[in-house]
Amino acid sequence: MLIQVVNLQKIYRMGPVQVEALKGVSFQIEAGEFVAIIGPSGSGKSTLMHILGCLDQPTGGHYYLEGQDVSTVSDNELAEIRNKKIGFVFQQFNLLPKANILQNVCVPLIYGGVRGRRRQLKLAEEALRQVGLGDRLHHRPNEISGGQKQRVAIARALINNPSLILADEPTGNLDSKTGQEILGIFRHLNEEGHTIVIVTHDPEIAKQARRVIQIRDGLVQKDEVIA
Amino acid sequence: MILEILRMAFDSLTVNKLRSFLSMLGIIIGVGAVIAIVSVGSGARSQVTSQISQLGSNLITISPGIRRGTSGRISFTATDLFTMELAAQIRQNCPSVGRIMPNVQTSGLLIAGSNNYQTQVVGVTPVYQQIYNFYPARGQFITEEHEANAINVMVLGSGLAQELFPETDPLGQTVKLFARNRNYLFVVVGVMEEKGTGAWGNIENQAFIPASVIMKKINNRKYVNGYTAQAVSAAAAKAAVGEIEYFLTRYLGSADRFRVTSQEQLLETITQVTGTLSLMLGGIAGISLLVGGIGIMNIMLVSVTERTREIGIRKALGAKSRHIMAQFIIEALTMSGLGGLLGIGLGWVGAVGVARIGGWPLVVTHTSILVAFSFSLLVGVFFGIYPARKASKLDPVIALSYE
Repeated sequence: MLIQVVNLQKIYRMGPVQVEALKGVSFQIEAGEFVAIIGPSGSGKSTLMHILGCLDQPTGGHYYLEGQDVSTVSDNELAEIRNKKIGFVFQQFNLLPKANILQNVCVPLIYGGVRGRRRQLKLAEEALRQVGLGDRLHHRPNEISGGQKQRVAIARALINNPSLILADEPTGNLDSKTGQEILGIFRHLNEEGHTIVIVTHDPEIAKQARRVIQIRDGLVQKDEVIA
Repeated sequence: MILEILRMAFDSLTVNKLRSFLSMLGIIIGVGAVIAIVSVGSGARSQVTSQISQLGSNLITISPGIRRGTSGRISFTATDLFTMELAAQIRQNCPSVGRIMPNVQTSGLLIAGSNNYQTQVVGVTPVYQQIYNFYPARGQFITEEHEANAINVMVLGSGLAQELFPETDPLGQTVKLFARNRNYLFVVVGVMEEKGTGAWGNIENQAFIPASVIMKKINNRKYVNGYTAQAVSAAAAKAAVGEIEYFLTRYLGSADRFRVTSQEQLLETITQVTGTLSLMLGGIAGISLLVGGIGIMNIMLVSVTERTREIGIRKALGAKSRHIMAQFIIEALTMSGLGGLLGIGLGWVGAVGVARIGGWPLVVTHTSILVAFSFSLLVGVFFGIYPARKASKLDPVIALSYE
């Protein structure tokens, strides 16, 4: 089992006001699944995404990632887990604007302690070729299209061979045709065995996954497997 | 890893070239000022000390002390104690004293034909030559015989000879000295060598006559202003001072009636004064280093805010707090280090310029460069830590959603 969340809670305190973003969420995700987490804004799906991505920690309950309870580990360990086990794809692409795309893809290798600049660049080049950007290695992010940026982000997410690819509204800033292309890449990656979790508010996108977890008001409302 | 971070630091500095340069300016000016000022101090010191030792070596000056006035008595300088005979006694009683001569002088107008020149006339004995390492280039100096018989002979400084006898040979000519409302006639017997401008006025333009002539014929006093003694060797200078002090205290009855100053003491004092001065000025320049550091901190804080999202991305991709911290500290260090290097260049140029204007040797010590540069690095670390900590502590979720 890749992911097991048990009674996950997250309470934000804003002065005297307490906001319960997650009120006790439980589910399991097996390795190799393609899951969409769907919910309207304010449903708690972003909070859930942050916790699943080890960017944040729950205030209650447990989150087991590959059997390890990551709800209580230190910030440093959390950073290491993000580096090794999770590949992020964001709606805003979140590439470093001053670095070229090859350097961008190298970043997780640097923090992961992969030694040798040449080896890093070679790995990054391979990853970029896989997403069809082998001829744009030295372009900066502002010199390529949105769809290409998201491909760079996917290459970067894949570079450390993570156990989980976590995509937050990955098609939110793209036109529908490019969005479909990106989703196609995710499906392809899933067929190759990667575990993919897409967080979205759009039911059309969620349909392309094999399983949909619906979140509403901080709780799992529906969890169904589709064809 | 360090190499990667270093490269990133350089990259982010080159993105905002003007901004980086302006924030480095404080450090550049600070380091430059420290190096230039310390160099000016050492250059001036080495010039002054070389001028002093050029005047002669192991010199000891004996001058009258001040008699303190109590209620009914007026304080005055005890000039009525030093006689020619006392000089001989000092010489006899102080084995470390090699040579001694009285200090007597007057000033007056020297007239030769249609030329005249107002100058100092120094009363000398033959040992003056050895004491001051100053010899006649032509003719002869004042001899024992001149001195003993108070003969009206004169030796001219080289500059003075030019003034009075621009076209004729001064040797054997007659010079009229007008001093104390009377005229005295002198025969020129020698012209001194050229020695350059000393620390105390232009010795090239002085005239030298026997001390006894000034005392007996011009001033009509049997007392001298003091003595200049020379120790038998540089090593004996301290002993000579002690011996003179011991002898004179017994002879004159009180240590208040005279003062003994050695050239060594003078050099020490000058070294101390210039040292303190350059330390003080260097310290003031150091303040601008501090201000430069604050400039760097300021720009680093701006940079952290501007790059909040970048920090968030890096954290999401697995950067630990220490990675972020190292990145920003190295950025601050790169800025201050680069500023320090440019400052060394600026300081060097400044030191060369000032040394050329002041006419003293260029002294840029390794120590001043090393101290100024390491201080600039220290400033970089010190003022880089706060912004770097601020960056490293950012919550990745908040940083990622920063617009």
